[in-house]
Amino acid sequence: MNQRLDHHTLEKYENIWFGIATVMALFLFVTVLASFFSGTYPSLTGEGGHHITGVKNGRLNPKNFAATPFATPGLRQNADGTYEAFVVARAFQFEPAVLKVPVGKPITIHVTSADVLHGYFIEGTNINTTAIPGQVSSFTTTFRRPGTLNVICNEYCGTGHHNMINGVKVEVQEP
Amino acid sequence: MTTSPIYSPHAARETPVISDAAYLASLKKVTQYYIVTAFLALFIGVLIGPLQALNYGGINVYDTPIIKGLLKSYYQGLSLHGVLNALVFTQFFISGFLLYLPARDLGMRINMKFAWFTYILMTVGLLTAAVPLLTNNATLLYTFYPPMEGSPVFYIGAAVMVGSSLLVVGQVVQMWMRWKRANPGRVTPLVAFMSVATWMMWAVASLGLVIEVVFLLIPWSLGWVAGVDPLISKTLFWWTGHAIVYFWVLPAYIAWYAFLPNHAGGRIVSEPLVRLTFVMFLLNSTPVGLHHQYADPNISATWKTMHMFLTFLIAIPSLLTAFSVAASLEDAARARGGRGLFGWMLKLPWGKPTFSAPVLAMVSFILGGAGGIVNASSTFAPVIHNTAWIPGHFHITVGTATTLTFMGISLWLIPHLTGKRMPSVRLASAAVWTWFIGMMVFALGMHWEGLVGVPRRALISATAQSVYRDMPIQIPQMLTAISGVILLVSAVMYFYVLFRMLLSKRVDDGEVTSPIPYSEVISPAGQNLAGASALVRFTEPLLALWGVALLLVLLMYGPVIARLFANAELVPGWRLY
Repeated sequence: MNQRLDHHTLEKYENIWFGIATVMALFLFVTVLASFFSGTYPSLTGEGGHHITGVKNGRLNPKNFAATPFATPGLRQNADGTYEAFVVARAFQFEPAVLKVPVGKPITIHVTSADVLHGYFIEGTNINTTAIPGQVSSFTTTFRRPGTLNVICNEYCGTGHHNMINGVKVEVQEP
Repeated sequence: MTTSPIYSPHAARETPVISDAAYLASLKKVTQYYIVTAFLALFIGVLIGPLQALNYGGINVYDTPIIKGLLKSYYQGLSLHGVLNALVFTQFFISGFLLYLPARDLGMRINMKFAWFTYILMTVGLLTAAVPLLTNNATLLYTFYPPMEGSPVFYIGAAVMVGSSLLVVGQVVQMWMRWKRANPGRVTPLVAFMSVATWMMWAVASLGLVIEVVFLLIPWSLGWVAGVDPLISKTLFWWTGHAIVYFWVLPAYIAWYAFLPNHAGGRIVSEPLVRLTFVMFLLNSTPVGLHHQYADPNISATWKTMHMFLTFLIAIPSLLTAFSVAASLEDAARARGGRGLFGWMLKLPWGKPTFSAPVLAMVSFILGGAGGIVNASSTFAPVIHNTAWIPGHFHITVGTATTLTFMGISLWLIPHLTGKRMPSVRLASAAVWTWFIGMMVFALGMHWEGLVGVPRRALISATAQSVYRDMPIQIPQMLTAISGVILLVSAVMYFYVLFRMLLSKRVDDGEVTSPIPYSEVISPAGQNLAGASALVRFTEPLLALWGVALLLVLLMYGPVIARLFANAELVPGWRLY
């Protein structure tokens, strides 16, 4: 048996393959949506997703942090007990250099840049966002294990880019 | 001036004869200029590559005296590597290849003065942009995201170079429309169809980049406006930036579909299906760019999700291609006496570089495509976004699927255009295999490092902190460093073959000894629209489909960009390199 392929056989296989390809694409989409709704990764919000003093539509003036909480970067606890952290990326460091956060508590982190684009990537997690001058990236996450994690800038920002590494310290709170 | 051979639907197409020898010589010459300029860019770009690979192997060679004398920093070397390989090599090669193919496939005369003007303009743009790149005045990497600011000369040169490709679009589409008018009721031949569809897709795709550079970056870099909105720029960049990968890979698809069956001794499976594939790419390549911006704020998750869905859909024409071309290869192998479920593969001409280059490129693209699905999923993306995984990914897509295919094409195209002969089939074959192996090793190392958390495009071998020394990346670092050496050896072999061929004497008539390698067809599209299948008739009106493609892009990008402009926040430029 060494027959060459013919039009009819191929057409049948083609249609089956086309069906499989389409089902695969749809399946992928559905699984990603499921993951999206179950919240297995920190979804970014902007534009109205947060209400920060001095920030409008997710935008702020990068030369004037004074009117915003980014003037004093770091963690703060709001009156309702929720946690928010403000991080400024600036060539070639993050402020605060070590962000201290409590373990097991949901924290909303807001990141912006004072100069060029930077990346805010926490090693070993799926926290990965762009720090853009004039814009605020916000997301909510919970650190479940105490310890120190590296925060790595993963967007080219100039000659010192590869040294732009700071940290997050996840601490157990005293009762 | 052209005569058509007797038509037979299943036979390989015969190139329409062009009787005007002076015109044909000029057409071949301009094509050769494009191709050679492309490979000169690749030559320089590729030589810088091992420096990057060694960096990811933990070895910093940028501090050695020789390199220091040539390149100011790793980031300048990386900017040159990216711009020359990904932007210059591809665009020049494609502008030559996809100007020549449709002109020959349709047997049409094109205005050679205009063709030469376009080539010269594109080259002037390239040389203009090269000055700031070489003098460390545009160390912006190939994404040149503002507000990192480069010399205005870089943006102007880049705009002229990329803009020139739109002149090729105009010339090819106009030629096709003249052919349509002269041949009413005819089905466009397959190679011309694929070429025209690719150029139409590129025209829609390039708009984002053209708008970004011409209207935002050039006025800003000249100081005419006070600032730039980085997010608007980045969004316009990725309007073009993802579709450009299809602009790089579709010419390779043309070679896989139309010519690879010939190199293998098989037949094209189905012309109507190929046409459907290209129409899907025309419609769907561009409105997917937001999947590069999952990490960016102030673009709604809804729009990102819609682009993600469209990105998954664009996998379908690639899967159809995998089916069709694999079937062509099986057909070839069985014709050569191949047997068994997988045993037939042994019967393929693996030692023939015009065959092995595109086939290994395809194998690489299967893996690259699978990785691409990961990148496009908003749930996976945060784990690998901007990590070493990404350069791992695009070195087996554009760096192998496209580049290795183009290398393989050059081995029959240069003899075809010039009448010169490949000096050594064995050396060319060794270059092809080592390129494939080198890229596989590189990709393994880089994907692995990326998963551990190593960022992309960073001089990690000179990082002051101990972060990367503490990560468990010794094995992938070793793989990446070794791959740089393998690829350097491969490049030396390939360019030796190429330059020796180019510098040798003309000995043949390329039309006879190395004709355009058209293939036989199992299911042809037919010659007349009247008797053609519904699929052929649906895909033929490319102008209307081009309009639909533009409309789709406006629908999927219009609201996003309008909102960004409404909330624009201009920021000043910085030069931190």
